[in-house]
Amino acid sequence: MKDYVRLEVRRTLRDPGFVIGGIGMPVLMYLLFTNLGADDGGWRTGAMVGMAAYGAVGSALNTGGGVAEDRAIGWLRQLRVTPMSSREVVVGRALTGSVTVVPAIVAVLAAGGLFNGVRLAAWQWAAVALLLWLGSFPFTLLGLGNGYRLTGPATGVANMLCNLGLSVVGGLWFPVVLFPGWLRAVSSYTPTNRFAELGRSVAQGHAPAAGAVVVLTAWLLVFGSYAVLSYRRVGTAV
Amino acid sequence: MTETERAVYFRGAIKAYGDVRAVDGVDLEIAHGETVALLGRNGAGKSTAISLLLGLAEPDAGTVELFGGPPQVSVRAGLVGAMLQEARAVPRVTVGELVAFVAGRYPDPLPVARALELAGIEELAGRRVDRLSGGQVQRVRFAVALAGNPALLVLDEPTAALDVEARHAFWESMRAYARRGHTVLFSTHYLEEADLYADRVLVLDHGRIVADGTGEELRRSAGGNLVTFDRAGRDPADLALLPGVRSVEVAGGRARLRTDDSDATVVALARLNAIRGLEVTPASLDDAFLNLTSREREPVREPVRSSVREPVGAEAPEPVCEPAESVQRPGTETARKAAR
Repeated sequence: MKDYVRLEVRRTLRDPGFVIGGIGMPVLMYLLFTNLGADDGGWRTGAMVGMAAYGAVGSALNTGGGVAEDRAIGWLRQLRVTPMSSREVVVGRALTGSVTVVPAIVAVLAAGGLFNGVRLAAWQWAAVALLLWLGSFPFTLLGLGNGYRLTGPATGVANMLCNLGLSVVGGLWFPVVLFPGWLRAVSSYTPTNRFAELGRSVAQGHAPAAGAVVVLTAWLLVFGSYAVLSYRRVGTAV
Repeated sequence: MTETERAVYFRGAIKAYGDVRAVDGVDLEIAHGETVALLGRNGAGKSTAISLLLGLAEPDAGTVELFGGPPQVSVRAGLVGAMLQEARAVPRVTVGELVAFVAGRYPDPLPVARALELAGIEELAGRRVDRLSGGQVQRVRFAVALAGNPALLVLDEPTAALDVEARHAFWESMRAYARRGHTVLFSTHYLEEADLYADRVLVLDHGRIVADGTGEELRRSAGGNLVTFDRAGRDPADLALLPGVRSVEVAGGRARLRTDDSDATVVALARLNAIRGLEVTPASLDDAFLNLTSREREPVREPVRSSVREPVGAEAPEPVCEPAESVQRPGTETARKAAR
């Protein structure tokens, strides 16, 4: 299992699309959005968490793209004729997702601290990073659900739509205070909004609201069921 | 074959996709250490049979066992390595990393260097798999299949898309692995490959095993060897009576005897002092293969023509021997009957 995760992490990190889209883009967008126009210290911190969350969501979904690719090239089928169990393969993939979200989170937080002068207590940095890491898990499951259900190209499109849609509506790119009232209401039920809220609460020095944890947990169950159903549908036929 | 001697066991195995029975009642036993070819046309059911064998698919009816248990159990135990059809290069990983990873899944793997050497790709260890040529990728997939040192190696059309040279190198590698006492099963639609590299050839057609034997036995079933010599006016009907002869053809002043026992035929010809420009050639395996696999599609034809081909007038244009379908050529049966 450890070897499988290591192999898949290595393969992910060697993917230029992942490095540029999953790590480079969030950092670049963060620096652009916070240094063009109004100079507002609070937004620099808020946007840092938002963009780290955006990067983590993209990286988490990318895991599903990897699954779709591995199905298409017959690698998952090849694994089925080795002594590895299908459970090990699926769990290994999910763990891979939880490792590959780390670079995006670290890179955006580093950009905030080093270039944008964001100052937090050491425990806050640690807690923000940890919560973003844990909170990205539902998105890994969403990506796996897409990857097991759809073909390679369709998975790419579905992941991109999920990523952009959830990121924008969830307020990862622009603060929700700019949204009209109805959209703000919708936003508070999105997993991305509550995901970023975990980190923002800590950055502001208080614990995340129970609502955030409840909504995110509900999405964890939804995406988890989706992943299991997708896997059951095609997982044994890869 | 006792239960402990057999590596592979099929009994009445059936697997249908929709209306098509891809595997239609296969009975089969393969002993430890055998190298067996599964020969058939495209769509004959080879890949489905291999999927059943590897536990990638479940039979609708019948039994499939590997090493005395369900295929999945043997696969989990690391007894099986496989090169699947149409698998492509695993991107963004080096050859060494990939082979080492797969080897590490097995309880008693080959050293990675040894696996690469057997596949003939030592020098590619540090290269990315997705940057190799098609032939090189094929060899990487072979290294992946044997990395775990599996007791049974299964290769589904391993040489498809390889050029002649690469194909030879590949089979040498396969033989080297089989020599270590392992059981090897490979599928192919190349007759010569089955003949040259397998101890035993199973011919699969329409989901059934229609022949099972050595390449030599298959050829013999199609009429052994061909003995050809200058006819010098001898009567074909007399030639048909020679020992071993199954049929006689006359073409361009030459007589062509299809014989089950070329030695006896040649000795008899020598007694008749008939040896002029003698040639003994094996009947082609193509003949055997076509003979075995074409029957199901057409109703069995009874030979209708009545006599050995003997054109009127010795110098008249004689029938040129026909291409491969000749196994069912009417007349051959009759010639044999005439000989009795």
